[in-house]
Amino acid sequence: MNQPQQHTKQLFSGPLIAATLSLVLGFYTLMISHHVSRVSKALDKMVHSYGYWIPGSVGTGPDGSIGSYSGKETLALLVWFSAWLVFHLLWKNQDISIKRWLPFFLGSLAFVTLCLFHPFIDPILRLILG
Amino acid sequence: MNTDQYYHGNLAKYLVRTQASLALLILLLLAGLDFFFPTNYRLQAGIHGISAISSVVVGTYLTHRAFTIIRGVHINYHSLRRWALGSTVLNFLGAVSGNWIYMRYRGENGPRDWILANAPDFHNYMMEFKEFITLFPFPIMAAVTFGLYYYGDAIAERRDISQFVGILILLSWLFLFLGFVTGLVLAKLRFV
Repeated sequence: MNQPQQHTKQLFSGPLIAATLSLVLGFYTLMISHHVSRVSKALDKMVHSYGYWIPGSVGTGPDGSIGSYSGKETLALLVWFSAWLVFHLLWKNQDISIKRWLPFFLGSLAFVTLCLFHPFIDPILRLILG
Repeated sequence: MNTDQYYHGNLAKYLVRTQASLALLILLLLAGLDFFFPTNYRLQAGIHGISAISSVVVGTYLTHRAFTIIRGVHINYHSLRRWALGSTVLNFLGAVSGNWIYMRYRGENGPRDWILANAPDFHNYMMEFKEFITLFPFPIMAAVTFGLYYYGDAIAERRDISQFVGILILLSWLFLFLGFVTGLVLAKLRFV
């Protein structure tokens, strides 16, 4: 078994995998909460309620508001930060293969991007929701 | 190196820097002049435009550094860390100012109402896509900045980690550029 050299600090890929997995989970939260809010007014209100703390989340008239977008951002931020913290603590001393992670990461990023493009996702949602 | 060679070498360097500074200044006018537009939302438009253009410029510069990392060439990581941090801050400003201008976009008789009445696909397909993917560069660059500071200069010893950081910089640029172009198209269609 190869011993790490004493004069160099061993680097673990775990923290970078944790940082990138957590942002992907944040993006999926953004996408899922967006489509959930489109199902009904009640669900839109529920998603919106998470974002009331953001300035400009409610309001009418010419100045407008960002509406339920604030809730989607809040949920995404919550998932991103909490997942990052948990996975970082779990994997800070682990070496995980970046070569294996990269295709999953790129694929999941491509898929979440496509799922935010309505001409792609709407026919699928109609099929699921009837 | 003789005096003549030295003079010409430095001349090129100064010209490159002058060209880059002028290009940035002129490009910033694209959004900077928003401050003088006849609208009540000129401040939001100007700040969002300037942060968006600055993010794209810095993001594009960073792609050049990214290719160097991916090729495995030794680079100055101290400088890269600071550029990555700056890019993350700019991306954050872009997202926050985007929220600010988005309020007016959705406001009464705002661009959304006009676009839905005259060219609904631009809202239903383009804006509904743009508003989410423009949030992507900030977390991606936050991960890049974290990685660069966390591993320090030792990152150069792990080719797989440094290459992954390079790929992340390229991804951030892709979403930045997509968001920038779609934002420009929407602003051209109906300004706030």
